[in-house]
Amino acid sequence: MLRLLRSAACAAALAPAILASTAQAEEFSWAVTTDPQTLDPHAVNTAAVLGFLNNTYEGLVRRNKDMRIEPALATSWEPIGAGEGWRFHLREGVTFQDGSAFTAEDVLFSYQRAASPEADTASWFSPVSDVKIVDEFTVDFLTTSPNPIFPDSIANWMIMDSGWAEANAAERPDKESGNYATLNANGTGAFQVTSREPGLRTVLEPFEGWWGEVEHNITRAEMTPIQNPATALAALLSGDVDMINPVPIQDVARLQDNPDVTVTQGIEARVIMLGFPHQAEALKFSTDTDENPFADARVRQAVAHAINVPAILKTIMRDNAEPVNQLVSAAMRGYSNALGDGPAYDPDAARALLAEAGYPDGFSFGFKCPNNRYLNDEAVCQAITAMLAQAGMTASLDAMPVQNYWPELRAGNYDMFLLGWSPGTFDAEHPIRFLAATPNEAQKLGSWNFGGFSNARVDELLPQIQSEIDEDARQAMLDEVAQILQDEMAYVPLYVQPLIWGTRSNVTLTQRPDNFFILRWVSVN
Amino acid sequence: MSETPIPAQKSRLRAALESDLFYTFTRSPVAVVAAFVVLLMLLASVFAPLIAPTNPFDPASLNLMNGFTAPMAANDFTGDVFLLGTDDQGRDVFSTILYGMRISLFVGVSAVLFAMVLGITLGLLSGYLGGWVETIIMRTADVQLTFPSILVAMLIFGIAKGITPVEYRDQMAIWVLILAIGLSDWVQFARVVRGATLVEKNKEYVEAARLIGRGSGAIMLRHILPNVLSPVLVIATISLALAIIAEATLSFLGVGAPPTQPSLGTLIRIGQGFLFSGEWWILLFPATTLLALALSVNLLGDWLRDALNPRLR
Repeated sequence: MLRLLRSAACAAALAPAILASTAQAEEFSWAVTTDPQTLDPHAVNTAAVLGFLNNTYEGLVRRNKDMRIEPALATSWEPIGAGEGWRFHLREGVTFQDGSAFTAEDVLFSYQRAASPEADTASWFSPVSDVKIVDEFTVDFLTTSPNPIFPDSIANWMIMDSGWAEANAAERPDKESGNYATLNANGTGAFQVTSREPGLRTVLEPFEGWWGEVEHNITRAEMTPIQNPATALAALLSGDVDMINPVPIQDVARLQDNPDVTVTQGIEARVIMLGFPHQAEALKFSTDTDENPFADARVRQAVAHAINVPAILKTIMRDNAEPVNQLVSAAMRGYSNALGDGPAYDPDAARALLAEAGYPDGFSFGFKCPNNRYLNDEAVCQAITAMLAQAGMTASLDAMPVQNYWPELRAGNYDMFLLGWSPGTFDAEHPIRFLAATPNEAQKLGSWNFGGFSNARVDELLPQIQSEIDEDARQAMLDEVAQILQDEMAYVPLYVQPLIWGTRSNVTLTQRPDNFFILRWVSVN
Repeated sequence: MSETPIPAQKSRLRAALESDLFYTFTRSPVAVVAAFVVLLMLLASVFAPLIAPTNPFDPASLNLMNGFTAPMAANDFTGDVFLLGTDDQGRDVFSTILYGMRISLFVGVSAVLFAMVLGITLGLLSGYLGGWVETIIMRTADVQLTFPSILVAMLIFGIAKGITPVEYRDQMAIWVLILAIGLSDWVQFARVVRGATLVEKNKEYVEAARLIGRGSGAIMLRHILPNVLSPVLVIATISLALAIIAEATLSFLGVGAPPTQPSLGTLIRIGQGFLFSGEWWILLFPATTLLALALSVNLLGDWLRDALNPRLR
């Protein structure tokens, strides 16, 4: 009995000591809504994956706190000749997290891997004709035409160790069935993945051999996916996690009054829009038409007229988002100031356009929507369903988790869909290449243009935009494309999504407009 | 049924009500209140289209600007006033509760009826026939009992959703729910009926029926069934409360009724997102309704069990 008492007293004395030691080791945990579906930096081109992997992998260049590119694995770069390509000088003495050295071989390998047909990142390299190793720490990227924004466009292209990939049979990404690189990571970045349980938790620890200057004071970081925003908020309020992204919009006002929590707000680069099946012969989910009304630009304009965007922003987004008339937000390079406002909310005009297109009584169709990808996405889709119903277009809404969402869109199982697009290059050329260019696998164009929108003039202008060095001439072409996309209503742009992060007050961090959470800028005080 | 003289049965029913059950019922204030609440909610949901000020299932009638209106307060933009406020889509919460209760009760009652028919049939068969029929049925029941019924329901729901074509998914969702909850709930009925059948089948009246040459089916339906019904009635009532809660749970988890046709569980799921932000009415009113409904049905079931059990009287 006495022994029992003594051991209990011992345990009681130990408990504060354990608590104190964990508080000293600066552990940081954060909650995300979407668990990155893979750790392979070339397999899936989504913000959830690339944003997370930026902490463990690095590219030749990286973005700083102001989104400008700065040297990372390359120390400098310069154009070759008169726009024949770019020469990158690599950083020496860098090692991967498994200890092997970083050389030009790894750059060439990562190019071949990321530009392969199996990779989701192949379109980044559509302007590249060849990559040549000059010496162990110099690499040339030859482009088909002058490409002034090339270094800017590869900030998310991450370098993988060739030896590691070959030893583990992961020379090519495998999006569908996965391989070794899906669950394991070996980058050169400031943090290494020490434990990965998909959907449960991912643990990161600082990489001791990192080449850069350490700004953070974290000894261990844990990422937990929490799908339900209210649950995530409760975890933040109770101190179970130190940071959540996003904070549910409806709770922002109340959180701002809470001294334990800091809310960091900004305008995200992400534009939320509606997409259509341009090439489909018939609607898939209609009960009353065997044609494809959305192939007619007037019907797409009717959709734009039928949606009361200001009302959505006022109620569901609570004045936290800005309307937008094109595929990029005003903060992006190449934003078209010349473009007029999009179609205003006008249900009568919508009905008139429908009648003109031959659907005076409207039609029914299937509307696909994610329910855990964008802020309040399901509520926005429900509101859109109601607004379209008022103009005679009866949508049956199918909201699903994002894991099932992209495969459905890729399979063409939609009549209308919701999409958010954040240009990785912070340039208006990006959505044109991915969303508006006619899909072409060989040229790596239009890879997210699910509906197959196709316009000859847009396809003609895109390579010119990519190679034009004169800012004014480039902007004139971007303006022309924006005008075509608005006239054709290729997509219906709705609003720019806000960025709302919530942290415990003892945490300082930097919020980047691309919604990437960079762990090396975090300190716990 | 047609063989039996109807007047005799009717008077038997009336006699039972007048003599016993009805008397204990009037003596139990809890039962009276519970029955009153259940009756009120039944009527309210049956006549929902007449009572509700708006039709929340008609997307064309919604005005988003009415969203988040507090109960009995004028909306900032439209000036409209709603008895219990509105949700994020501008739907009147009072109307959504009436329509939602309709779905909850419909799913609950149908699922219990389905489970009851299935459970009684299988229970009678296994109790009366015995042998391999009994082995197969009761071992299946045992296996199913090792899983929590909500998991069984989710499994059935998932499979059914997978095989229904997408364009009919919304319409089918309710029927799939009924099937899923019903299939997860038949075991109790089967076990109780089998137990009672084992006792009854050796009694003299059954042997007498067998002696005069009646078939097995007729003996089970006409002679044994009426004598095993009273425990079934008790289980059915308590199962109803459980089925309503099961439906709410499934819808709360987002696998039940679609968001455009919310049941009480869907409403609670939607409202839960606004708990921290101060729009309490979106959660509180549907949750209270569900609580009142499930509690009343449960109390009624408890009373029925006591009233029908001679040993407790």
